[in-house]
Amino acid sequence: MVFSLPASINADGLLPFLSLIGTPVGVGEIVLDFSALRRVSPAALVALVATANRWRTGGRQVHFRGLESCVITGYLQRMDVLSACGVELPEAFQRHKAQGRFVPVRKVDCGVDVMGHAMAACLAPGGDEYGNPLTAVYDLAWYVITETANNARQHSGGTGYAAAQVARSEGLVRLALADNGRGILRSFQEAGLPWSRGTNDIGAIRKAIQPFISSKGGPTNEGVGLTLVNELARLARAWLLIISGSGALRLKPDGTTSTESLPANGFFQGTLLTMVFRQDRVRDFAAMLQEAKNATGLLRRRERPGRFEA
Amino acid sequence: MKLELSLAEEFGAHLADGTRAAEFRLRRIEPYVDLTREIVLDFTGVRNSNSSFMNALVAGMVEQHGEGVLDHLVFKGCNPPVRVLVEAAIDLGLRKIEGRIDA
Repeated sequence: MVFSLPASINADGLLPFLSLIGTPVGVGEIVLDFSALRRVSPAALVALVATANRWRTGGRQVHFRGLESCVITGYLQRMDVLSACGVELPEAFQRHKAQGRFVPVRKVDCGVDVMGHAMAACLAPGGDEYGNPLTAVYDLAWYVITETANNARQHSGGTGYAAAQVARSEGLVRLALADNGRGILRSFQEAGLPWSRGTNDIGAIRKAIQPFISSKGGPTNEGVGLTLVNELARLARAWLLIISGSGALRLKPDGTTSTESLPANGFFQGTLLTMVFRQDRVRDFAAMLQEAKNATGLLRRRERPGRFEA
Repeated sequence: MKLELSLAEEFGAHLADGTRAAEFRLRRIEPYVDLTREIVLDFTGVRNSNSSFMNALVAGMVEQHGEGVLDHLVFKGCNPPVRVLVEAAIDLGLRKIEGRIDA
């Protein structure tokens, strides 16, 4: 089976691409042809890595073809896409510091806290220091990465991958995490949540962004992670896209949410979350978090908020 | 008797893993709740946390012991986002006692 990657896989090209690589692969070797590829987003990269590694761990041989004629092979190498898929290719360039520019594809493992810090600090250099102009960007990125990575580790049953990029001229941060696991709907169904039998992938994604909906339950899962990621994205006037199975939920900077099915009856095995936000729209993370908690009903005004000391 | 626990010493500056938080609560806090006058959770040096961690640590304690446990708990050295997360986790624990959450 040969998958010829299109020239551009970002924005409107992402969903058709997911449908393409979600095509049932039958038996025999799988070939990914990169020769036409010219532009690709972090979301497409993590989806590709998650899918290629699902094929590989399923015992399939996956060949990468056309890298010698692909104009962005060097970029794919810098983003560690090839090495994350077990492909070794000599690098005809010198690696420079990624700080402030991009975060190569990395596997989501047990050190989510440290991974979150490394990624957020790379996207917002100096932001881990209080009072830095990028402090709130660092805080938001860390929160989104760690909550989404926790979902990939604890709920997906598969392996997660994360990557990110900063478009400095536009001041845009692009974060993406994808896993190759069971997807949101099956996660709910396997947890035996009664309502999940009568819904579909879109319904499951919608449910997942509601508060207190979790496939695991306490004490370690209260079902608020994705709820807050969605609300923080809304407050940051970000683009948020959550794809799982055949469904996709899109939040636009104007705050409107829409859902759709993947084109051509497509199906992405796993869950993908990507968020794009402008750095200058994120100023005070604590205030954003407070507002997000209030807006989602996760924080009520109380007489006894707890005892706090400096 | 007063029990003071430094979260930064236990976990470092970044608190993200709810599973580890739940284990810590069960092993290091729960056995002492009825034996101590005051339990200080010291967040000094903690740079950031997420809801997964804080809910597992704090909401579970409130749910387990009731609102009265707040008389014995002190949250020290919280930066502003960490404080929001602690307050929301307390609220979550109280909601669970009230039986509002059945997800």
